[in-house]
Amino acid sequence: MAKLEILEIPDVRLRTIARPVEAFDADLVQLVADMTETMYGAAGIGLAATQVNVHRRLLVLDVSESQDQPRVYINPEIISAEGSETCEEGCLSVPGIYAEVSRAEKVRVSAQNPDGSSFEEDLDGMHAICLQHEIDHLDGKLFVDYLSPLKRRMVTKKLEKQRKISGQKPARAVL
Amino acid sequence: MNKKPVANARLTALKMLAGVLDCRQNLAESEQENTLADARDRAFARHLAFGVLRWLNALEWLAGGLLKKPLRKKDRDIERLILIGLFQLWKSDSAAHAAVNENAESARKVGKPWAVPVINAVLRRFQRERTEWIARLDSKDERYAHPFWLLDAFKADWPEDWQSIAAANNEPGALWLRLNQQFDQEETSKGLAAAGFHVQPHAVIPGAVNVSPAAGVGDLPGFASGRLSVQDPAAQLAAGLLELAPGQRVLDACAAPGGKTGHILESEPGVALTAVELNQARMERVKENLSRLGLAGTAQLQLITGDSSAPDTWWDGNPFDRILLDAPCSATGVIRRHPEIKWLRNPSQVADAAARQVRLLTSLWPLLTPGGILLYATCSVLQVENSRQIQRFLANHPDAESLEFPATWGRKQDPGQQILPGEQDLDGFYYARLRKNP
Repeated sequence: MAKLEILEIPDVRLRTIARPVEAFDADLVQLVADMTETMYGAAGIGLAATQVNVHRRLLVLDVSESQDQPRVYINPEIISAEGSETCEEGCLSVPGIYAEVSRAEKVRVSAQNPDGSSFEEDLDGMHAICLQHEIDHLDGKLFVDYLSPLKRRMVTKKLEKQRKISGQKPARAVL
Repeated sequence: MNKKPVANARLTALKMLAGVLDCRQNLAESEQENTLADARDRAFARHLAFGVLRWLNALEWLAGGLLKKPLRKKDRDIERLILIGLFQLWKSDSAAHAAVNENAESARKVGKPWAVPVINAVLRRFQRERTEWIARLDSKDERYAHPFWLLDAFKADWPEDWQSIAAANNEPGALWLRLNQQFDQEETSKGLAAAGFHVQPHAVIPGAVNVSPAAGVGDLPGFASGRLSVQDPAAQLAAGLLELAPGQRVLDACAAPGGKTGHILESEPGVALTAVELNQARMERVKENLSRLGLAGTAQLQLITGDSSAPDTWWDGNPFDRILLDAPCSATGVIRRHPEIKWLRNPSQVADAAARQVRLLTSLWPLLTPGGILLYATCSVLQVENSRQIQRFLANHPDAESLEFPATWGRKQDPGQQILPGEQDLDGFYYARLRKNP
């Protein structure tokens, strides 16, 4: 297993739209294992392949308290959604920024397992929120895209400041 | 996705409250307290969050009266800091000075320094006028700290007992263990005592012991090795009521998290047990529990992730001698352990749960062999899920007979037996035993 590098904004590769997973092979199993390790290593509760520069439609997540119930969704699709709730989100690709985002409260998702078998599942609570957040990544979207223009300017400034401190280039490209 | 790291017990409690009240999460699902490194901070965050959820609408009523003008909706965090402070001053033995100052100063930490004097003013006013405000609260229904629809449901079902139910729901439940009878229970108790715990067996339920002071499972000697499990004594009644014998085919229809599943095998390892659970993630909990108890390799044990209300998708056609239907329910009997239930439930969910129970009962009944027993259990105190549910089932199933059982716990219902929360220090539970007549 290996920890993978997580892309951070303003990296334009985060804007790539991922293509479906077609090969359910040993490489896929390895990628899932690496992504899971990377997610845990970064104290994340979800990670999309896009974030580790693999532009295929899969994601891992674990919203359990004990952080020992990893789940994998390959080619996930939300087939129905209802309700709305607002929850504070953060993102491993947008370090240090946390903001409230409104999403569907309950979703029904169809997806595949690493062996190619299909399943459907009803999700709610943090599980539903995290899944929607990660599917957005596969479509090149970030949670900060949902913020009001004013809030986004504040986020941009905060990121610029953070990057100045760490001696990196200012973040402008994606926000 | 990740979550904001917090390192302060009070701010963590604030996050836990937001998780429950804004994101409709169970407290058990909240990972917020894990962001605190220190066990005492974690315990304090839980104490604050549980306390506010236990007394929520009473605290809200007090805050509403004490505030000069209502806060805006986006300042829910400030309102919750006030609720935490009021809980500390009113119900907790926190030092008053610290409760006022630290809650007010927390406003700065959430980026709202303007609110420091607001919180200060409200909490100081409560300190000055406490007697008067508590007296006023005592004439309001908010004093029961339950949503009114639920209070009305208690009143309708339990006209004599609704006040004591509400009061018991607001008292934290003690820590109860089930001692695994596959081990020497004496030895297990001695191990607990040697670690400094006071161990007290339950007055009427064998194998159940109360342990104080309360502790996390990691601190209980014998937990990891499967000598004991955390389980309320009311839930420990199920295995005995099944009257198990070697060779019986037994179905545990809604198995997760596996507490009763493990108990069935501990008390009669010779049964052929099938445990069904709908939710894949929750089935993992069943497996974990059985592994910890050393039961995962039991002969003739079958774990099935499937829907018990659609048995044709998983049933092999061999009838069962015993069925445990520990049905999904409103959980209104375990509010003392999960105070957030009061604010997460609504009447339509109770109706949904009742409808689901009907589906489970009717689809599982044909799986029972003639002469076999189905044990129906809920952790609810609402009759629509309990005696009324079973009355209706009996009316529609002439081959079903409700068995009387002599019990030294709970109160007799028609049909079944109901434990109200707090009685004999038990969680609220309902049991009915249904025999299939040939």
